[in-house]
Amino acid sequence: MKSSYAKCIILSGTLIIFVAVWWVIAAALNNPREIVGPFQTGTAFISLFTDPPLTRLLIAGLQVTMLSILLGFALAVMVGVPIGVLMGRYLIVDLFCDPWVNIWYSIPAIAFVPLAMNWTGVSATSSVIIAFLITVFTVIINVYGGVKNISGSLIDSGLAYGATQTQVMTKIILPAALPNIMVSLRLGISRAIEGVVIAEMVFTVVGLGGLMDDAADNLQLALSGALIIILAIISLALAEGMKYIAGRALAWKESQAMVRE
Amino acid sequence: MKSSRTMSLSARFGVFCASLGLFFVLWEVAALSSGSSLILVGPIPVLQALVALLQNHLPRGTLGIQGANAAILQTLATIVLGFILACIVGIPVGLIMGRWKTAEALIDPWLSAAYSIPIVILIPMLYFAIGADFYAEVFVTFLLTVFTIIVNTHHGVKYVSNALAEVGKSYGASESQFLAKIILPASMPDIISGMRIGMGRAILAAVLAEVLMSGNGLGGMMMTFQDVLNTPYMMAVVFLIALMGIAVLQLPKVLERRLFRWKGTESLSREIRR
Repeated sequence: MKSSYAKCIILSGTLIIFVAVWWVIAAALNNPREIVGPFQTGTAFISLFTDPPLTRLLIAGLQVTMLSILLGFALAVMVGVPIGVLMGRYLIVDLFCDPWVNIWYSIPAIAFVPLAMNWTGVSATSSVIIAFLITVFTVIINVYGGVKNISGSLIDSGLAYGATQTQVMTKIILPAALPNIMVSLRLGISRAIEGVVIAEMVFTVVGLGGLMDDAADNLQLALSGALIIILAIISLALAEGMKYIAGRALAWKESQAMVRE
Repeated sequence: MKSSRTMSLSARFGVFCASLGLFFVLWEVAALSSGSSLILVGPIPVLQALVALLQNHLPRGTLGIQGANAAILQTLATIVLGFILACIVGIPVGLIMGRWKTAEALIDPWLSAAYSIPIVILIPMLYFAIGADFYAEVFVTFLLTVFTIIVNTHHGVKYVSNALAEVGKSYGASESQFLAKIILPASMPDIISGMRIGMGRAILAAVLAEVLMSGNGLGGMMMTFQDVLNTPYMMAVVFLIALMGIAVLQLPKVLERRLFRWKGTESLSREIRR
C-alpha cells in the first residue's frame, strides 16, 4: 500500500506533466485554430464564471446535463435492480430475459441516438432515454451475477427456519447481493454520463455537451476546452461520490467486496 | 418455492423461442401504434432495407453519400485498425504495469482519469487538432479502446497466483522465461476478455467518430438517413451496428468458455468491467 503522501505527489506530478505537454504542443503548433494552450483555456474557464451571459449559459447547460444523467441513471437503477434480482432468483425469468439482456447490453450507445431522436426529438428527454438504455443492462447483468452466486446454504437455512419469501428476499438476498449492486451503480453512473455526453454532442443544442460541441464549431476552442474541463470535473465528482456511497454501504462487510471490483 | 434449479433442454429452447417471438410481436405492435413510419417501423421494412443495403442499393434522395458497401468497409477498417493499434500499445503497457510497481504508480493516475472521465468529450477538440479524415477516426478508435485493454491486461498480470510465480522463481526461471511461460499463459484469459470488451468499445468509437467527425462510413450513413427521415434505412443501419456489437461481445464469450475451461469460471465472472 502506498502512503497517501506519495500518492499526492504522483497525482500532482501527473497533472503538471499533462499541462506542460499540452503547453509545449500548443506552443509548437502555434495555431489557435487547431489547438489552444492551457493559459487561454484557463482564461476561458474563469470567464465562464465571471462573464454573466456565459455564466447563464453554463448554469442552464449544467442543469440539463445533470438532470439527464441523474434521471437516466435513477430510472435504470429502479428498473434494473428488480429485474436483476428476479433473474437471479427464478430460472424461468432468467431464461426468458437472459438473451435479450446480453444482446441489448452489447449494442453500442451511438446506435440508440438516432432512434431516440425519432421518438422524442432533439431534446433532453432523448438524452435521458439514451442514458437509461445504456445503463439499465449493465445494472441488470451485475445484480443478476450477484444474486445468482449467493450460496444456496444461506437461502436454505433461511427457509429451514421458516422465513417467508419476502423475508428471504429482504434479509438474505438483498444484503448478500449488496456488493454487486454497488458495483453496478458505480459502473452504471459512468455509462450514464457517457451516454448523456454522446447524445448531447450529436444533438449539439442540448446541455453542456451541446454547448461544448457548439463552441468548437464556432472555433471558440478555448471555451470548448473550458467546458470539457467542467464536464470532466462533473464526471469525476459523480464517480467519486458513487465510490464513497458504495464504501459507506459496504462498511459492514469486510473489504473483500471492494477489492473484487 | 417453484424456482426449479434445472430445466430440460427443450423447455429452455421453448422459453427462448417464446422470448424471441414476444420481442418481434412487441416491436410490430409498437410500430403500428406509433401511427407514423417516421417514428418507428416494424421489423419487416427494416429487414428489407437491410437486405437492400447489403446488396449495395441506396434509396432515392441520398445520392450524396458513399455506397453502402464502401461505408460498411470503411467502418470495419476503422474498427480493426484502431483495435489492432490499441492492442499493440495496450498489452505491453498492461504487462509492464503488472510487473513493475514504479510503472504502475506512474501510469495509474492516467488510467483512473480515463476511466472516470468519458474520453468521448475530447472528440470535438481532436477534430480541430488532427483533422477529420480516416486516420483521425482510427486515432479516436485507438484512444477509446486502449485503456480498456491496458486495464484488463494489468489486472490479469497483477493477479497471477503467487503459487505459480513462486514455483517459477524457485526453479530459477529467467525473467523472459518467467514472462513467456508463466505470466502470459496465466493472464491470457483476462487479456482476451479485455480484447473482447475493447472490440465492443472500438465499434462505439468508430461509429461515433464518423458521426461527429467525417460523416462517412456507417455512422455518417445512419445520420444521413435520420436527417432525410428515411426511418427503415436508418433502423437498418442501427440494426447492422447493433449486430456488429452483439457478434463481437457475445460470440467470443462462447469461445472463451471452451478455450479456458482449465481456468474455471474466474475470467467469465469478471467480465463486468467496462
